[in-house]
Amino acid sequence: MDFLSNTVVLSRMQFALTAIFHMLWPVLTTGMGIYLVIVEGMWLKTRNPDYYLHARFWSKLYVLNFGIGVASGIPMEFQFGTNWAPFAEATGDFFGSILGFEASMAFMLEAGFLGIMLFGWERVHPVIHYFATIMVAFGANLSIFWILSANSWLQTPAGGEMVNGKFVVHDYFQAILNPFMAKSVLHMFFATLETSLFVIGGISAWYILRNRHQAFFSKSLKIALAAAVAVAPIQIYMGHLSAEQVYHYQPTKLAAMEARWETIPAGESGDWTVVALPNEKAQKNDWEIAIPKALGYILEFKPKLSEPVLGLKEWKPEDRPHMVGLIYYAFRIMSGIGFFLAALMLWSVFQWLRGKLSAENISQQRWLLRTWMFAAPLGYIAIEAGWIVRCVGRQPWTVYGQIRTVDAASHIPASNVLTSLISFAVVYTILFISAMYFGSRIIRIGPNLNLPIPGIENEPAVDTTPAEFVPDQRPVEAQQ
Amino acid sequence: MEALEHFLPQVWFVILALFLFLYVMLDGFDLGVGILSLTSDDDDRRGILMTSLGNVWDANETWLVLMGGALFGAFPLAYGTILSALYIPIMGMVFGLIFRAVAFEFREHSNRKYFWNLAFGAGSFLASLGQGFALGSVLSGISVDDTGHFIGTTWDWLNWKSILVALTLIQGYVLIGSTYLIMKTDGELQTTHYRTAKIASVTTLIGAILITISTPVFYENTRSRLFHQPQIYIFALIPLVGVLLIWQLFKSLQRQEDRAPFIWTILIFLLSFIGLGLIVFPYIIPTQITIYQAAASSSALVFMIIFIGFLIPIMLFYNIYQYIVFRGKVTGGHYEA
Repeated sequence: MDFLSNTVVLSRMQFALTAIFHMLWPVLTTGMGIYLVIVEGMWLKTRNPDYYLHARFWSKLYVLNFGIGVASGIPMEFQFGTNWAPFAEATGDFFGSILGFEASMAFMLEAGFLGIMLFGWERVHPVIHYFATIMVAFGANLSIFWILSANSWLQTPAGGEMVNGKFVVHDYFQAILNPFMAKSVLHMFFATLETSLFVIGGISAWYILRNRHQAFFSKSLKIALAAAVAVAPIQIYMGHLSAEQVYHYQPTKLAAMEARWETIPAGESGDWTVVALPNEKAQKNDWEIAIPKALGYILEFKPKLSEPVLGLKEWKPEDRPHMVGLIYYAFRIMSGIGFFLAALMLWSVFQWLRGKLSAENISQQRWLLRTWMFAAPLGYIAIEAGWIVRCVGRQPWTVYGQIRTVDAASHIPASNVLTSLISFAVVYTILFISAMYFGSRIIRIGPNLNLPIPGIENEPAVDTTPAEFVPDQRPVEAQQ
Repeated sequence: MEALEHFLPQVWFVILALFLFLYVMLDGFDLGVGILSLTSDDDDRRGILMTSLGNVWDANETWLVLMGGALFGAFPLAYGTILSALYIPIMGMVFGLIFRAVAFEFREHSNRKYFWNLAFGAGSFLASLGQGFALGSVLSGISVDDTGHFIGTTWDWLNWKSILVALTLIQGYVLIGSTYLIMKTDGELQTTHYRTAKIASVTTLIGAILITISTPVFYENTRSRLFHQPQIYIFALIPLVGVLLIWQLFKSLQRQEDRAPFIWTILIFLLSFIGLGLIVFPYIIPTQITIYQAAASSSALVFMIIFIGFLIPIMLFYNIYQYIVFRGKVTGGHYEA
């Protein structure tokens, strides 16, 4: 139990735990935010009250996510100071600025309009309300840009150099637009969108299977499916582009993702393993199942590699990532889920085109609907697995090639970190169970289809009378 | 260049002071309301208290996130040193804010509201306590070596000065929370908070007096700066204006005015911040590391002014708009998403 007195290891465990937990919540606040913009826009355009009721129903799950996302986001920011003070000092010029930009441009925007989006339905004109919904979704998705720009910079630091242990920025735009940035931002954007689509579709499928509001929920299932037609294949391609940039810029990570110990020189073809049992002590895979000559096709769509794929043995053990098995399988789980979701999309489209998804027939598609329910949590697993590949695979570096993780951690007593780590584990377990409980409760209660629909033309553009919070006098059941 | 290297850190010192003031004022009343909810055994009242914050707490808390990011970017050395030195109070604040934040939604859906009521109240209290200790120990000094790195011990933050500051800050939060509730409620609830506001204004005043007196008496470094002309005139003016503002606050509470107590309290907070700012300046870790030593490079500071500084008016604008949309009294104890 040596690690219990090792501040660096404990700080890493704490950062991993808090990051993995935090990542669960912004997924819906970004992806479902776009869905809310779509349904509210369709309501304004078609005046079909169903779309309004969709906006109201899904925003309940949205706000549940939002609160936990905000709560679990604060420790992420402050940990850079508490647990990673040398890192903060060395990279503050760039990394700190970016976190500041994210707060001022993205967080403040979504927080500033969230109140109007959630509670302002009767207080502002529908067009202003729609503007607020757009600002919330825009702010949330803008934070993907800044966070992924900052994280990409850790992978491919650009725009400056290390001088006396401090990163001096020469060109901010070069640093923000670092080599990993564009593809990583898009990969994450489509990841949250795709996950949200399958969450919405999966929950809708649950209602349809239970014969509750079939017509209502076949709408949301079809919106999700229609969007997935584009999103699922694009995301697979984005995944390919992301792997390709790892191939070009982060050879140690690629070696770990493929559990490859021996180098394949340029101009040759390489095998691709489907499963393997990496053995870090022996520096080889104890066994593996490989597809001969497939690696070139996977990385470059051609038989021979144009660049060498370096094996892990090229580096000393302290210069390459550990936990190779974790990185290897996390990568396979993520990709597998990506292909599974695309296949589910194709199956559903096939049935749709055959007319099997009409409001009358849809509930007969029991296996299809069950598969959608099964798919609802998969996107989350893929996202977490992807972050594990990205950040565990970057080790032993915090800033790739520049700052080692061991040098980035604060010199604080291990007992402090152990205490906070245990506290996070306990508190986050409570929050996770509670969120699942309350989330499933919201779903079980279902939408309130009797909500009054706000008028569109009759409403004055500006409310001239002092606004009041109107107490909801109806019985609690009716308010759901 | 020399002038610019002095000017830019000063600009960021002022911007950070503004963010900190906005945070302490806005989330101050949220946290104050949370602490006040602990004294309530009536669930309807608690419902109204939480409804009055439902639409604003998140935006208010974002000023803290913004201040954190701006401090990280503008004064990286101070960010690392202060936060790692204050590990326990900062983590206390973080956990307090977590409980406070999730309580809003979870309470709404829960049948056992008791637990989430406690999470809201105790979370607010813990967050305030953490902030008070953090502020108090920054003001009373953090031990650093000459490169600005922390060399103290885990419990350095706990001393009589930080206890005094923490207790006073909590009183201040209760005061601004009470005056906010005076503005947002009516009837019996409003009467209750006239009473809590009166008590809190007296305890805040006592704390403020003790801090004002003890600072020059016990801190040699501050004393020499305070009693130096022409600063002495400015520093003499602050307590005088403070007495005037507190007198106005008492009067407005006595007359049972609706909005005036909240506005006087904000002005008292503002005055305290100006006073603190003048005492701390030009240090970022009093009285060891100046803003010039801890500042990021000039190019970083300029870049941040472009991306954050120019957004400040826009951020203020839509935040104010949100307050205008939700102006008026809260009468129902229920908010519906």
